[in-house]
Amino acid sequence: MISRRGALIAGGTGVAVVAGGAGAYKVATGDKPEPPSPPSVNADGKLLWRNWSGIQNAYPAARLAPKDEGELALALKTAQGPIRPVGAGHSFTALAPTTGTLVSLDAMAGVVGWEGDAAIVRTGTRLGALGPMLAEKGRALPNLPDINKQSLGGALGTATHGTGTKIPALHGDVTGLRLVTPSGQVIDADADNNPEVFQAARVSLGSLGVISQVRIKTSANRRLRRRVWLEPFDEALANAEVRWAQHRNFEFYAVPFTGLAANISHDETDEPALARGPDQDTEFLEALKGLRNLLGFATPVRKAAAKALLSTAKPETAVDEGWKLLSTERPVRFNEMEFHLPVENQLKALEEVVRTIEKERPDVFFPIEARRIAADDAWLSPFQGGTRGSVAVHAYYRDDFSFLYSLVEPIFRRYEGRPHWGKLHTLRGQQLAALYPRWNDFLAVRQELDPEGRMLNPYLKGLFGLT
Amino acid sequence: MKRGAVLVASALILAACGAKPPPPPTPEQALALRPADARLAALYETSCRACHAMPETGAPMVHDRAAWDPRWKQGEAVLLDHTIQGFNAMPATGQCATCTPDDFKALIRFMAGREDSAK
Ligand SMILES: Cc1cc2nc3c(=O)[nH]c(=O)nc-3n(C[C@H](O)[C@H](O)[C@H](O)COP(=O)(O)OP(=O)(O)OC[C@H]3O[C@@H](n4cnc5c(N)ncnc54)[C@H](O)[C@@H]3O)c2cc1C
Repeated sequence: MISRRGALIAGGTGVAVVAGGAGAYKVATGDKPEPPSPPSVNADGKLLWRNWSGIQNAYPAARLAPKDEGELALALKTAQGPIRPVGAGHSFTALAPTTGTLVSLDAMAGVVGWEGDAAIVRTGTRLGALGPMLAEKGRALPNLPDINKQSLGGALGTATHGTGTKIPALHGDVTGLRLVTPSGQVIDADADNNPEVFQAARVSLGSLGVISQVRIKTSANRRLRRRVWLEPFDEALANAEVRWAQHRNFEFYAVPFTGLAANISHDETDEPALARGPDQDTEFLEALKGLRNLLGFATPVRKAAAKALLSTAKPETAVDEGWKLLSTERPVRFNEMEFHLPVENQLKALEEVVRTIEKERPDVFFPIEARRIAADDAWLSPFQGGTRGSVAVHAYYRDDFSFLYSLVEPIFRRYEGRPHWGKLHTLRGQQLAALYPRWNDFLAVRQELDPEGRMLNPYLKGLFGLT
Repeated sequence: MKRGAVLVASALILAACGAKPPPPPTPEQALALRPADARLAALYETSCRACHAMPETGAPMVHDRAAWDPRWKQGEAVLLDHTIQGFNAMPATGQCATCTPDDFKALIRFMAGREDSAK
């Protein structure tokens, strides 16, 4: 995201001056309190599990942390259902909650071998820990998501991706995997052995069993030049296609109620390292929240103030190895909806989303993210069958996010979007079957591997249209 | 009397010196710190370290007494509850799916620089 300390300090001053207005003070103090939280321990003495943003929770009867495949296979045979694998809990949808058994692979992490340039990685490994492990061998994951806190298993489970027209989502680089089924069977799968399991399991929402390790392609650990710059939203829209074609990685954020967009590009370079400097996303978001709180009652004034305060920000450049630059810290919690659209619809959908939010929801202040992802052929991959353009809308974790369903999702659906599996959406059963040509093939593999549905919680049953 | 007052005064000075928080670890030191217990160290490494050893996350840095002291004053029960529930930028349970309340207490003690419970 963009970050200019100078602009933000100026922003703070500006906000303070405007705060003198009578009406403004009332809105300024309108920051929402912490959302209500469920009890830490339930009536049965079970400890709370909650996702990153706080909107999903559960009190699992058992929590497993197996140390190896043998222990995992044995435990799955008798575990109380629903059995739900969990990574870092960074999904917004109810994939992990269970009243039965939560299985964490935190104790099954690390790179356990190499086949040429492909690494064999245990799926409990967090992406942030994987970077230095691969770098030791001069290798890197070609792409990374916005943050690196996810487990590899969780990231694959929901088709987690970064941005780059020629770069697939993480699962697109997986060439083999080992799946431990709920009956305790251990299946090795790739394009030649058990190909149906391979195509189904690469993106499988933890519904087929637990994936214990994968073979994943790596690329040379190159240095990247990262550039971040602001410009009018119209110009960002007009230039986006060229930039996706030009840059190794490119994404941009429409900043609602400012008329501005923030662009981020990454390109390979041999230039010497140039420090990124402290992450300033949080200050930027605070400034946008400040503008919302003070001027949210009058969109034109808010836009004028934002333009005056932010548009003079100077571009930023940093140079470092990709695994250190591609992900950033996102310490401000939020809820999110993201859809993956046919590329020809992406920018139209983005424009409509921005217009709608600016018309209907002055409380929104989070930037809206637009990315590109290369195609792959995993059956439940949102990128199955063609390159897709993603648009992601965020809501501060203390704010109401119902507009994502009422205002934003209908736009994405009209533009033929497929939902991000880990982010908020309402699609179920037949609606998903219409978007995924291999939907029924996936369900057939699921039925074969878990005939009793021990891996299914109510959310997954609904998602798969099995209720 | 006078001698007694001097003794009391020096005891107070000594006590004050003893209470002075040690300097915060450098970023490199923070990255290298781990609880002594191997199991706890593994939990810390997977869940807490990604934020509490990275200054840009805004989380109180491991062993930074100045950052932890005001939090520590809230009491163990409050800190434990914030850890389980999530609070501000802190996600629930620090995304440790298998930590028990006792694990969290030990991890908080370690990060706050209070491994020795007498401190
Ligand atoms: C701040 C933030 C930033 C994000 N940025 C991005 C981004 O840039 N790009 C993007 O695409 N997404 C992004 N996401 C979404 C996130 O990457 C996904 O939700 C991801 O699945 C989370 O990984 P996790 O380890 O937390 O998995 P969890 O949420 O814990 O689990 C996700 C799914 O994986 C399954 N699973 C976990 N481990 C295994 C295993 N070993 N075997 C089988 N199934 C398993 C679970 O059952 C579940 O269905 C972001 C989320 C947050 C909160």
